[in-house]
Amino acid sequence: MNNNMIKITDLEKYYRTEEVETIALNKLSIEVKEGEFVAVMGPSGCGKSTLLNILGLLDDADGGSFVFNGIEVAGYNERKRADLRKRNIGFVFQSFNLIDELTVFENVELPLIYNNVKAADRKKRVEEVLDNLKIMHRRNHYPQQLSGGQQQRVAVARAVVNSPKLILADEPTGNLDSSNGNEVMQLLTELNEKGTTIVMVTHSEHDARYSHRIIRMLDGHSVTENILI
Amino acid sequence: MFKNYLKIAWRNLWRSKSFSFLNISGLAIGIAAASLIIIWLLNEVSYDRFHTNANRIYNVYNSDLNDGKIGCWNTTPKVMAKAIQQDYPEVETVVRVNWPQQLLFTVGDKKLKAAGNFVDSGFLKMFSFPLIKGTANTVLNNNYSIVITESLSKKLFGNEEAVGKTVLLDNQDNFTVTGVLKDIPTNTQFDFEYLIPWSYMRTKGWDDDFWGNNSTNTFVQLKKEASLASIAPKIKTLRSKYDKESPKMETFLYPISRSYLYGRFDNGKESGGRIETIRLFAIIAIFIILIACINFMNLSTARSEKRAKEVGIRKVVGAEKKSLIGQFLGESILISFIAGVLALIIITISLPYFADLVQKKLSINFSDYRFWLAGFGIILFTGLLAGSYPALYLSGFKPVAVLKGTFKKVNALVTPRKVLVVTQFAFAIILIIGAIIVRQQLLNAQDRQTGYSKDNLVYSFLEGDIEKNYSLIKNELLSSGIATSVTKTSAPITEGWSNSWGIEWQGKNPHDKTVIDRYCADDDICKTAGLQIVQGRDIDLDKYPTDSLAMLLNESAVKHMKFTEPLGQIIKDNDKDWHVVGVVKDFILKSPYRPIEPMIIEGAAGWFNVIQIKMNTIKSTRKNLAAAEAIFKKYNPNYPFEYKFVDEQYAKKFDNEKRTGKLAGLFAFLTIFISCLGLFGLASYMAETRIKEIGVRKVLGASVFSITRMLSKDFLTLVIIAFAVGAPLAFWGMYKWLQDYPYHITIEWWVFALAGFTAILIALLTVSYQAIKAAVANPVKSLRTE
Repeated sequence: MNNNMIKITDLEKYYRTEEVETIALNKLSIEVKEGEFVAVMGPSGCGKSTLLNILGLLDDADGGSFVFNGIEVAGYNERKRADLRKRNIGFVFQSFNLIDELTVFENVELPLIYNNVKAADRKKRVEEVLDNLKIMHRRNHYPQQLSGGQQQRVAVARAVVNSPKLILADEPTGNLDSSNGNEVMQLLTELNEKGTTIVMVTHSEHDARYSHRIIRMLDGHSVTENILI
Repeated sequence: MFKNYLKIAWRNLWRSKSFSFLNISGLAIGIAAASLIIIWLLNEVSYDRFHTNANRIYNVYNSDLNDGKIGCWNTTPKVMAKAIQQDYPEVETVVRVNWPQQLLFTVGDKKLKAAGNFVDSGFLKMFSFPLIKGTANTVLNNNYSIVITESLSKKLFGNEEAVGKTVLLDNQDNFTVTGVLKDIPTNTQFDFEYLIPWSYMRTKGWDDDFWGNNSTNTFVQLKKEASLASIAPKIKTLRSKYDKESPKMETFLYPISRSYLYGRFDNGKESGGRIETIRLFAIIAIFIILIACINFMNLSTARSEKRAKEVGIRKVVGAEKKSLIGQFLGESILISFIAGVLALIIITISLPYFADLVQKKLSINFSDYRFWLAGFGIILFTGLLAGSYPALYLSGFKPVAVLKGTFKKVNALVTPRKVLVVTQFAFAIILIIGAIIVRQQLLNAQDRQTGYSKDNLVYSFLEGDIEKNYSLIKNELLSSGIATSVTKTSAPITEGWSNSWGIEWQGKNPHDKTVIDRYCADDDICKTAGLQIVQGRDIDLDKYPTDSLAMLLNESAVKHMKFTEPLGQIIKDNDKDWHVVGVVKDFILKSPYRPIEPMIIEGAAGWFNVIQIKMNTIKSTRKNLAAAEAIFKKYNPNYPFEYKFVDEQYAKKFDNEKRTGKLAGLFAFLTIFISCLGLFGLASYMAETRIKEIGVRKVLGASVFSITRMLSKDFLTLVIIAFAVGAPLAFWGMYKWLQDYPYHITIEWWVFALAGFTAILIALLTVSYQAIKAAVANPVKSLRTE
């Protein structure tokens, strides 16, 4: 529990349009230890999604340092980032982001395909995950045929199928009713208990209480940290 | 991974059926059209390249300075072959081939005509026309041996063995069949059903040693170790040693593999020829494929918002740009493959019609692996070309942007999509303008006064006993009321068979080597052919017995010879003194596209090949012909009565241009059609993406018309830009094309107006369907979807 999985220092990110320059992250420094469950909160526009994108190696920073698992990744090009991402990071989105043309099984299988896992192995692992998340019976359905809660379960299954070290969740319950939302939070907690590091952006104080620590952000930097356990 | 791509590609195709339909049908039509052109062009470029020794065989050409210009032509004196064989050790074989001859074949009761050549005995060793029976070395060794093709053998002898059998030719001599050839392919300049040894010509006294008679084709095959470069400077001066008359005329060897495609000379230099047509249509083929690919690119990128999410997700779960490019290319290749299969069906169905249009025998050899290789090549090429831009475009999406919904399409002034639409329509407009101008030029030439009367004029060749019984036949045709006038001539009135620079008249400049057309007619030529007499009179043997040496001049000849008083002038030709009795108005003997050349018409002392009959219009043509047949049968019993209508023969002069016009029209139509498929798709996506905007506008009071106009305006602007790009290019191209025709139209502004208007109208119809559909939709529905 003592190793830093994420250590960012003085991270900066700007968005420029023709007229204005917006500072999304303003010399932000935070650390996340291996096995931690961290919630990031703050008002709209405070930079929490930007932070999550940078942590997820989907976006690069304009300044500062980002050490992931002991490696400096600030300045990585897209190919290197994609490579690191596909082996280490799983994503869960508010709007599920499943591919409509693929079945449940095929959606979950996708990360394994991009990690060059053999077909027989893929089948075994996908079925294992679907079984764990109790959506095995829906394996041949398409996303449109599922309820929101079920879709988010598929999304979680897809995020964990590759056994990532880090899961990034962007308001995972935002599109769900409370009972489905609680189920998803329960799932994340179980994953965390099995050793997966989780960073979750949320607006919900209720959801945030599932985490170990809450980072509150305002105008691009962290203002307080509440340690819950 | 590949399976996954294929799966998603297939499901995507299936889910958006109308998009798939537009894409696949556009590509299929494009591939089919381009493939038809390619099949045709491959046939054209393969002309005479299949001979084993093709790269060592040359056609002998002459070149000579005349009026400051170098003229080149490939008919040589018959005696030249012997000189070449003797004087140049580099030469392996020399072969002469005379003009194709129609001969009457008689086997028992069977009589039929076939065309073929007299050739030197080395012909079948030089050219690779395989024998089914007989050996190339010996089949043409005997004066009275004959080699026939398989199909002529079938016609003459059925399934019986032909070799050893005897045929009677032209009711004169018996020949023994010594060999049977496989039917000759269509991609050769030769066209014969039989071959007869040149030595037979000698026995008949048809061979000559006269250097001034340039009448036969001579082919040379060089030895393996010899090079053209070494023999060229030596053979150049061949004539200086033998030809007393024109010692300065030069001789050169021209590769047979080039003669079909490049064999046109301008001032001593190769100046294109068929290769120009081939290049033009190759460009058209490439453009048609390109235009179909542009549809695919436009429709794929227009739909990008639908695919953006998928790209984002795939990237998030670990896809690299590379693998996404692979996926999208795989999709386009799949679509191209389906289109290819469809195209194959279209090609198979339409090939006979297309072959008819280009007047070639074209076929697909399905058992040839090269056909499939080429087919897959085209599919792969099309798939990669069509998929390249969408693949790069779609795979470049940033996952953060597309998944967070901040992804928005930009409405830039110049987008690749707009450029592509402009390209399509510019090309279509060029083809429309081209088609109109070719057609105008054709009509213009067809409308040109021929200077004679084609109606009810038929002709027949003087075969068998016709010449012997000519006056009997003529009298009977006239007295029975079948004909109003009959004459015999040296050639059909639609063809110039003879010309000369050796004609002399008083006051001729000794350096004048202008070629003058020579024609012969015994009597009543003006009356029969309807030539208009400007001065003097027609040739009339009945009234003026000395008219066997009478001569008519056309107006151009009078002008060229600078006669102020043409009547009574003496003109020397072929060692005879002809006296001018009349001047006729210029008429078109050869090309309706060229200026009329000076021409002389010699009287009955000339030589004759054709009988021309002006039919009496009191009876029907059918009755006249039936009666004429009886007369010909009576006086020429061994030959079938065959005749040709002058108006039909004249119409054939326009075949080339008609073909060009039809092809330009066809491909203009296809281009427009494919472009409109794409435009239709684009318009429907545009209507789809702006559905909310349209709803809001309607709620605020916009009329259907104003919305339709708003939606159509963008596309029309593109077509107008395309016109601005295409019109000057079309003008330039057609201006150059017309320069090949000395008698040609001038390009007028309304052609461009018509083409532009047509393109805009068609585009408007295509777009407005979608625009009106979007505009009349109930706004409540579209706004509720939010």
